[in-house]
Parts: sequence; C-alpha cells; structure tokens
Amino acid sequence: MASTVDQSVAAPSGRESLLWRGRPRGNPWRRPWAMEGFTWLYIIWSIVPIAIAVLFSFNKGASQATWQGFSTKWYVGGQVTSVLHNPSLHHAVIQTLILGALTTLITVPIGVGFAIGIDRWRSRTSGGLNFVMIFSFVIPELLLAVALFLLVTQAFTFIRLGTPAEVAGLVVWNISWPAIIVRARLVTIGRTYEEAAADLGASRMGAIRRALLPMLMPAIFASAVLVFASTVDDFVIVEQLSSTANTQPMSVLIYSNVHGGLSGPALNALATIMLIVSLLAALIGFFAYRWMTRGERTKGGAEALTGIAGI
Amino acid sequence: MGGGNVIVESLTKRFDDVTAVDDISLEIQPGEFFSLLGPSGCGKTTTLRLVAGFEQPTSGRILLDGVDVARWPPHRRNVNTVFQSYALFPFLTVAENVAFGMKYKSVPKSEVSSRVGEALALVQLSGYEKRRPNQLSGGQQQRVALARALVLRPSVLLLDEPLGALDAKLRRTLQVELGALQKQVGITFLYVTHDQEEALTMSDRLAVMNHGRIVQLGTPEEVYNEPADAYVADFLGVSNLMDARVEPAGDGRGSCRLRLGEFALEAEAGQLDATGSVKVAIRPERIDVFPYGTDGPNHVPGMVERLVFLGSTTQVFLRLATGSALQTLLRNDGTALPYSQGTPVSVGLPADALRVLPDPGVSVAEIHDKTLGDQLLDVTSTASS
Repeated sequence: MASTVDQSVAAPSGRESLLWRGRPRGNPWRRPWAMEGFTWLYIIWSIVPIAIAVLFSFNKGASQATWQGFSTKWYVGGQVTSVLHNPSLHHAVIQTLILGALTTLITVPIGVGFAIGIDRWRSRTSGGLNFVMIFSFVIPELLLAVALFLLVTQAFTFIRLGTPAEVAGLVVWNISWPAIIVRARLVTIGRTYEEAAADLGASRMGAIRRALLPMLMPAIFASAVLVFASTVDDFVIVEQLSSTANTQPMSVLIYSNVHGGLSGPALNALATIMLIVSLLAALIGFFAYRWMTRGERTKGGAEALTGIAGI
Repeated sequence: MGGGNVIVESLTKRFDDVTAVDDISLEIQPGEFFSLLGPSGCGKTTTLRLVAGFEQPTSGRILLDGVDVARWPPHRRNVNTVFQSYALFPFLTVAENVAFGMKYKSVPKSEVSSRVGEALALVQLSGYEKRRPNQLSGGQQQRVALARALVLRPSVLLLDEPLGALDAKLRRTLQVELGALQKQVGITFLYVTHDQEEALTMSDRLAVMNHGRIVQLGTPEEVYNEPADAYVADFLGVSNLMDARVEPAGDGRGSCRLRLGEFALEAEAGQLDATGSVKVAIRPERIDVFPYGTDGPNHVPGMVERLVFLGSTTQVFLRLATGSALQTLLRNDGTALPYSQGTPVSVGLPADALRVLPDPGVSVAEIHDKTLGDQLLDVTSTASS
C-alpha cells in the first residue's frame, strides 16, 4: 500500500511532467454536440405538446386527435361552440382578463409599498414581513386556496365567493412578485438617489416620489406583467374561490370540461388564447423593461431576466 | 447666500460597536476650502454625512452659522452635497437635474431656467441642457453634479471624493478648476478625500484623520512640513521613517542627539524633548547622496538598492547600514548617474531636515502598510462601485 502511495506522490519531473497527463484527445474547441443535442431535445419535448394543442384548435372537425383541415370555427365561426359565441367560453375569457387587471392593479401598489418599507425602514417588523414574503413562495398553493376558502366562507363573509374572493386570493398569492422584484432593484440602485433628492431639498415622501419611484418604474412594470401573467395562468386559487359559472376563468373552465361537457377543439382554442395572453404580457414586459432601462449603465438587466424567466 | 461658518463640537458617531467618528471638534471659516484627509474607514466620509444630515450623530453638535442643525433632516439644512457617484437622476436631462432642487427653494419659474443656464456656464457645460447623464463623460457628470448643488447657493458645499472615479489626468485638471471655482463663488467647501496631493494642492486648511479622530489640523504647508506624528508623515506622501533612540544627554542647543543603530545623528526638527525610542522622518528631497567614504556630520553609510527612472527625476532606493530603507529623488540633468544597483554610498541626513516624531509603538513597516494598504483598498472599492 505504502509503495503505491509513494509512486503516485513522486510525480515525474522536468520535461516529462509536461507530458504526464498525456496529449489532449480531440479538439477541445469543437462544438459541444452532446450538450447542444440535449438542449434541443428538451426544447422539442416541452414545446411539441403545446404546439399540437394549438394546432388542433384550428381543426375543421370536432376531433382533438385527427387532423381534418384548417378552420377558425372554434374561435369565431361556430354559432354554438366557438369561443366568440358560446357564452360560457367567452365569459371565461372576459373573467380571466378582469381578474388579471384587478389583481395587477391592487397587488402592484401594495407590493411596491412593502418592498420600500422592508428595504428602507429596517426594523423587526420589516424583518418579519420579509420572511412572510418568501413564505408565500414555499407554502403549497392548494393549502392557501383551501385556507382562503374557509376564511371567506366562515370568517370574512363580507368577501363574497366569486370575483371578490378570487381577487383577494390572487392578491395574497401574487404579492411577493412586486415585493421581491422591486426590492431587488432597490438594492441595486442603493440609497444615493434618495439622499441626493433629500440633499436638494426634498422631504422623505418627496424623495420617494421624485427620485425613487421613477427609478423603480422598470421593476414596477416588470412585476405588473408577472402578476398579470401569473393570474392568467392561475388555477388552484380561482378554482376554490369561484362561485357560479360566470366567475370561472379560462383555466377553471378548461379543467372542468376536459372530461366531458364542452369538449373538442373549442377548449384548445381557449387554451391557445390563454397562452397568447400570457406570452404577450411577457413580451410586452421584456421589451418595455429594456426600453425603460435603456439610459442606464447599471447592471439592471438581472431583475428583468429573473422576472421574465419566472413566468 | 453668505455665511458658511461650520463648527463641529465633540461630534461622535457610533454604528453598533464601531466608532466611526470619535469626539472630533473643528471650525471652518466662511469661504474656506477645508479638506478632511485620511485612508478609508478613518471617519472622514461619516463626518461629511453627519454635516449633510444623512446620519444622526450619537452625540455632539454641528453649528451652521451659529445654529445647531445636528438633529435636522437633510432637506432643511442649507448645505448641498456632491456625491462620489454623482447621483445624477438618469431619467432627467441635465437641465432638469440642475433644476431639481429649485422647486423647494421657491424660485420663481421665470428665474429657474436662467439660473440653470448660469450654473451650467459656471461649470463650462452650456449647451448640454438637453443631454441625459449617461450621454456625458465622467468629468462632465461631475460638473453637472457640481452645478446642481451650486445653483441652490448653499452656505456650505460638501464634496465626497468628487474626483475619486476619474482618471489621473482629468483629476489634475479638475483639481485646478475646482479650486478656482471655489474662490469665484466664495462658498465654504468641505472636501473629503484620501488623496494627499488633492488635499495639499486645493485646501486652505486640512484635517488629517485616523481611527475617527483628527490627528492634525493646519494649513497644507504646516501639515506637510511639520507632521505631528509618524502616521501623518507617512500618509502625506512618501516620507522616510526610521526607528531611533534619543541619547539621554542632550546638549541643550535646541537639537537632539539620536542613536540610529551604531551611528550617532543630530536632529533639529520635531519633538526635540522626546526620550527613549522615537521615529525619525526625513523627506526624500532632503536626502543627500555622496560617494562612499565621504565623511561629515550626520553621514551614514549605505547602498543603492534600486533605481527607478521617472523622467525628470530618478527615484533612488537606499538601504542604510543600519537596515533602514530610504528613498530619495535625484534630478536628471543630462549626465548619467554615478550610481547603479549595489553601489555603496554615503548618505547625508541634514540635521535641520531630520524630524523627531513620537513613537506610536508600531514598526515603520506597519505604519506604511496601514497608510498604503488603505489607499489600495480605496482604489478597489471605487473601481467596483
């Protein structure tokens, strides 16, 4: 045993040591075929099912499996079954958009307030609040949804099931987005701009309004987009807190009809609309963020990347 | 406008268990260019932030023209700050940046644009009104920051290493400009820097700080020529420090007999009544180099260790027989230097140039590492921010 150790320790010396590990095999600068191939495989694996689902929303026939020719009848043509004409289908689209807009409008200002509060007024309370922010990423959504359901049906009965309860639930679930994204930006920009504003005569609130908020706009906008997109995608909370068919957004309608009831490519059309709304929100967010931060030399792209990637 | 007298009385600032500013007192005269000089972490920036109002003092008073403003929020103090990072608002144009503070000074709308124009003319940026800060160079941004502060006509202007992020050449140009501008506007400047050259060339008076305290306060000449201790001597440019002992029997002629290893020296400057172990300082330009064997008072044999050609001068690193390292500058007058690496020489240390300083109880190398190391640290922190 000892002799083996000795041999390995006694490395060859001089010229020999340069060749010790042998000549490199192959070209180290070649394209990483294996890695590239695997990446493409992954992309295809994740996109193909979605592409097929979108494709069949344009099927002429009522099948979700056999292609029978191109048509837009599931969107606009069919008098009973198209998204445009079927009341429950287009109600779902409208309900999704209402929830998205309301949730975004309520969540973002509160979240921005939280972020500024947590970051700028350090105290025990802000520390606790910071923990709660992260907590909502950790707890299972279903748990929150059931808890909220019990809350609005047993305790806070003034929040009716349906749109009010759905919005309340979505606000709670999404509040971490603006809080965390805006806070990341607060850390990036530091306190100097507020100090400069105060130095030039602005009060505390004046400094926040005239110096901090304009600097935060990109992050505020990015988080608004995220909240909207995540609301459009949401299923668990709205499923628990919706009441009548009128307050069912697209996700709930698709789920409840997938095994019967309204079926066929109309559901694919609905899902496609959901996908497009989410994608549009993300794209708008990405380009608007780039546009808003165009004048900055700070490395501000990080929040946008993490933000958009999070959708 | 007018006024600009600043009195700081026993000012102390503690952050948890760190005392950043430790009981400092100073008075700045109206219209004075006053610098706080020291390595990073010496408390100079905290002092400035206390005067600006960004920090609350733990104790002490800050009087601006006789009024204690220590507990006032920054926006109520008639002082303005030029930040090291400039802190120009990127979403506003140059003109909007400069006009930012006038909203709070109830300046009539008609006057705002003319004052913005004047302020930009003062910093030689007329015609840049519509630009955004990111379309300007670092030096130009620094001027906008200056205009933004000066347009409000503060009684005191606070400058936190305003040239710290600029390259050396631009820095030197702006040093001259900033000094001239200060004389022109007559506003009291409180200038924070770790660059001794900046502090020496621009200030009317300066305070050297270390560990949250003022080590020495005086005019640039006083501080440079008569450093209070080894730390100041070393921090204010290259100073040769040696360990020595005072010979017990002084002869009372206003000089002090020193023992440097086996050599006896006479010193006529500094703390001549010191006893025991001391530090001795001598400026590089006061050292004489003679051929080996030349005898004379205060001559110590040594050796040339290294020569560094600097252009108009050559920097000579000497090693005395006692082990002390010294450096000196020799003027390049066209003839070749009679020295090369390893040449033995006789080093003349004129008695009137040898300054006896109290021993801080640490080695010469430690003092040097402290002042040098901190400056290096400063450079890196500036680069990364």
